Amino acid sequence: MAFDMKEGYLTTTVDAVLNWARSNSLMPMPMGLACCAIEMMAFAGPKYDVARFGSEAMRFSPRQADLMLVAGWCSFKMAHTIRRVWDQMPDPKWCVAMGACASTGGMHRCYGVVQGIDNFLPVDVYISGCPPRPEAVLHALMDIQEKIRNEYSVVDDYEFGQEQPVPTTQNNALLLPEGETIITPNVLENQ
Amino acid sequence: MPETLKFHFTPADPPRPDEANPHAKESTQVADVIDQLRDAFGEAIGEQVVYAGEHTVFVDKARLLEIAQHLKAELGFVYFVDCGGVDRFTDEDRFEVFYNLVNVADRKRLRLKVRVDEDDLHVPSVVSVWKAADWNEREVYDMMGLIFDGHPDLRRMYMPEDFDYFPQRKEFPLLGIPGSLPLPPQTPRGPLTMDPYAAAHGSKPVKSYEEPKSEEEE
Repeated sequence: MAFDMKEGYLTTTVDAVLNWARSNSLMPMPMGLACCAIEMMAFAGPKYDVARFGSEAMRFSPRQADLMLVAGWCSFKMAHTIRRVWDQMPDPKWCVAMGACASTGGMHRCYGVVQGIDNFLPVDVYISGCPPRPEAVLHALMDIQEKIRNEYSVVDDYEFGQEQPVPTTQNNALLLPEGETIITPNVLENQ
Repeated sequence: MPETLKFHFTPADPPRPDEANPHAKESTQVADVIDQLRDAFGEAIGEQVVYAGEHTVFVDKARLLEIAQHLKAELGFVYFVDCGGVDRFTDEDRFEVFYNLVNVADRKRLRLKVRVDEDDLHVPSVVSVWKAADWNEREVYDMMGLIFDGHPDLRRMYMPEDFDYFPQRKEFPLLGIPGSLPLPPQTPRGPLTMDPYAAAHGSKPVKSYEEPKSEEEE
């Protein structure tokens, strides 16, 4: 942008200005659930210094945050709390699944851990690693910024706030290898 | 025809002589304590096992509380370290509860074991003797379904209170039972997500939604 032009004005779009401001002042809501949260602290600390990207102000109240960093494995019990916190964040908002556990359940392939937070949250960026390096978290933040600059428009704000259809799935059975019996809720009673 | 998954038991280690355990401590050699117990309770004290230099004694479930009181009051086992359940998956005496106890003054460690049959899942609670047993017994109840009679507050420890199953039992599927643990709704006012693999089955949570109304508006 040429500020030294003699005319004294420049033309741009509202989106360009707003997205520039929004992407450089993301306020993360640190949802630290396990060891990934330690790397998330390093990401916020002086060495990796997320302040370079304008996100140093971690907000521990969801009402002041617009980026949720879900760091660590999420149990079925905790999922309800996370969803509640997410629901309290004002639009527009973004979500990062940090690490293998938050993205897929990771090594916790068992009954108590949600196999990926995308089962109940709209995740924008997934970070691989166990735990990811703070650089990877920074990179995810840059991806979110990229997403805001290129995909988000203030016109979306009109759409936000409207009621949207609830996505449903029909399949309640586990994904099983071929030939295995399907596990149903009364499996124990039939034995 | 693909091979169905088999259930694998961990093979049992052969018993080894005491001297083969380099970590065995004198404090776990408590044959004298078990003899004293046998003098006091006779038939109620069952088999005595020495494994890797550690003494374990099986006791009668019905007299567990008396034995616990005696151990604490007379024999000085004041420190309740740990207690846990085991699913042996056998036809008889399927479950087992172990109690690790320490006599701090005399530096002695004792392991008590109680066998519980599947038809009678009741075990006397030792919370009245050792307060520390409270949460351990709740954990065993949560994971194994053993009912501790006389426990002051026998609720689930880890799983939600309306959960119907006992997940550490051997017959419980590793990935759980679909529909038993609901996920949160996909929108604030939507129904609970009953499918634990909603994303794999094509569900994509919506990015935004109708904002919940404030209490004044409702």
